[in-house]
Amino acid sequence: MGTDLAYNFVFKVVLIGESGVGKSNLLSRFTKNEFNHDSRTTIGVEFSTRSIQVDNITIKAQIWDTAGLERYRAITSAYYRGAVGALLVYDITKHLTYENVERWLKELYHHADPHIVVMIVGNKSDLGNVRTVPKEEAKDFAESKGLLFMETSALESTNVESAFLEVLTAIHQKVASKEVTRGSISAVTLGPSSEFNEERRSCCNSS
Amino acid sequence: MAKLQSGNGVQWKDRRGQRGTVESLAEHESSSLGPDSELNGFANAEIQTDKYGFIGGAQQSAGENDNIPPDVLRQREVKWLDMLNSWDKWMAKKHKKVKLRCQKGIPPSLRGRAWLYLSGGKVKKEQNQGKFQELDSQPGDPKWLDVIEKDLHRQFPFHEMFVARGGHGQQDLFRVLKAYTLHRPEEGYCQAQAPIAAVLLMHMPAEDAFWGLVQICEKYLPGYYSAGLEAIQLDGEILFTLLKRVSPVAHRHLKKYKIDPILYMTEWFMCAFSRTLPWASVLRVWDMFFCEGVKIIFRVGLVLLKCMLGSQEKLKACQGQYETMELLRSIEPRYMQEAFLVQEVIELAVSERDIEKEHLSQLRRWKETRGELHCKSPPRMHGAQAIMAAEPPSRQDLKQNPTIIVEVPQTTESQTEKGKTTKKTKTEKIKDTKNTSPPPNPYPLPSDPALPSNNLSPGESQHLQKDTPLQGSNQSLSSTEHDTYL
Repeated sequence: MGTDLAYNFVFKVVLIGESGVGKSNLLSRFTKNEFNHDSRTTIGVEFSTRSIQVDNITIKAQIWDTAGLERYRAITSAYYRGAVGALLVYDITKHLTYENVERWLKELYHHADPHIVVMIVGNKSDLGNVRTVPKEEAKDFAESKGLLFMETSALESTNVESAFLEVLTAIHQKVASKEVTRGSISAVTLGPSSEFNEERRSCCNSS
Repeated sequence: MAKLQSGNGVQWKDRRGQRGTVESLAEHESSSLGPDSELNGFANAEIQTDKYGFIGGAQQSAGENDNIPPDVLRQREVKWLDMLNSWDKWMAKKHKKVKLRCQKGIPPSLRGRAWLYLSGGKVKKEQNQGKFQELDSQPGDPKWLDVIEKDLHRQFPFHEMFVARGGHGQQDLFRVLKAYTLHRPEEGYCQAQAPIAAVLLMHMPAEDAFWGLVQICEKYLPGYYSAGLEAIQLDGEILFTLLKRVSPVAHRHLKKYKIDPILYMTEWFMCAFSRTLPWASVLRVWDMFFCEGVKIIFRVGLVLLKCMLGSQEKLKACQGQYETMELLRSIEPRYMQEAFLVQEVIELAVSERDIEKEHLSQLRRWKETRGELHCKSPPRMHGAQAIMAAEPPSRQDLKQNPTIIVEVPQTTESQTEKGKTTKKTKTEKIKDTKNTSPPPNPYPLPSDPALPSNNLSPGESQHLQKDTPLQGSNQSLSSTEHDTYL
């Protein structure tokens, strides 16, 4: 079994949002195509990777997941370090989780790179019959903040790929277009092996 | 146009197809499986529990054969019953022996009771009679109840006790966690308390588990579950600093890749390794933890870090933050194996003093860089003896109250001590009649002559007659049918 296929970039993406919205299942659905009704409560940090192709470039997505409960926000600064993308997840059937999105955004910008690509994700779209957050409302909100938006269902596998793909593509575009200087968005380009260690260090050194 | 690749050559499996099978199975199976339980991979009807109650998952035992011979187990049980009978004396005068016995492993039948005594939960329970019932009957703060409810089906979902949605295990978990939020409303609920409470519930009824949880949250690991999670961050720094002495190689590596302790030790410490180790090891660690306090948790962490990152050879495979974290997330089974781990923990020279000294130093550093602590927790108690010294119990507090008493008929010369007949448990009776004619079977089959007298109600004795040891049973020890709370 292959460990690491060659990749051009490593992008760290974090999943944030209230407890129970489905972050862990979005992670497992995207990286392992698995869903579990009884996945364990996340305590600490979980992570997984998956490589995808965007315009003939291979991107290794490093997806991080952590506990959503408020008091865990105290320990997340290490978690955000080096992240270039974020999926801010709420549950379309629990309006409170949507109301807290603003607070999560504040949290995000407090800890993460200012150029971080953010997507607001309304998860559990399979439960449309008990929806409490109108799609248009959330979409407008995201647009007003200049953020990406998508509704997903980790259970039915709807739009999960698209969501991650869109975020990763947007990150790549930012990096490729040199919209930001290399120092402030900590993506990694891997050239020949002699550059390998140096690039790694720059990834971890970003604050 | 973006194209997706399965990066590691993994086959996509559609697990949704299996869901239907499991659900229809569940309807016909015994009531321990709720209709919603998704048991990934269990497409056949045979659902076997291991001896700890696990029906699957990473912590299910592979049926290792390091079972203790029954006669050794019986001897240990007798010794433990003796200790529990005069607990204060043992703790005051023979604590070293108590510690040694905890290190050897508490016999499973007495584990729950021993944990309750070690933690001081027993004393708390006796001194607060009616308190749990009072909290249990209150509605609770909806804000906390909402979060707790979301977590009920997410604790040890592969354990038979917690697999059923709305089953007794999940109900008791709810009651215990709710009671805590009412007991300490300023603390509320923290998600890592759920696995702790679940482990306790596997060994004792809800009320006892509640007091066990109280003691863990307030005496053993104060501040761990409080808002701000400052205590766990401090302990992470302490762990990292202690690592420098225990394994300079590992320490240097973690430092080099700027791997914050919080990235690997959070789940370890907050759940006291209950989500990390194979189950047999969890129980051995908890046996020592209840006796000796948090230094056991530190030692386990240090041993695992040393084993996984302690040599240049091993570090070759993880030249990076992510790779290192992945390695720490999949600890090699041989390092977590019961006998190996326990021995390493016992031998590791890290004391309470080391921890407290480092704690002061880290506290000073915190104040310099981050200001005052928001949450000033009380000092922690380093084990059973410290707890008892801080809150000395009365004899009455320590009195055992066994719930099932089986009277053996006086067919042989009884060696009962005066005044102890009513408190004799089944195991003591077995000891007494060992050297005489074969002991009468307290659970006769319907065809056997019935026992003249026992303290069981007709309903109970009938029930026990059905479940005789002669019938093969694949029920685990933790099911209510086999009461380990004897």
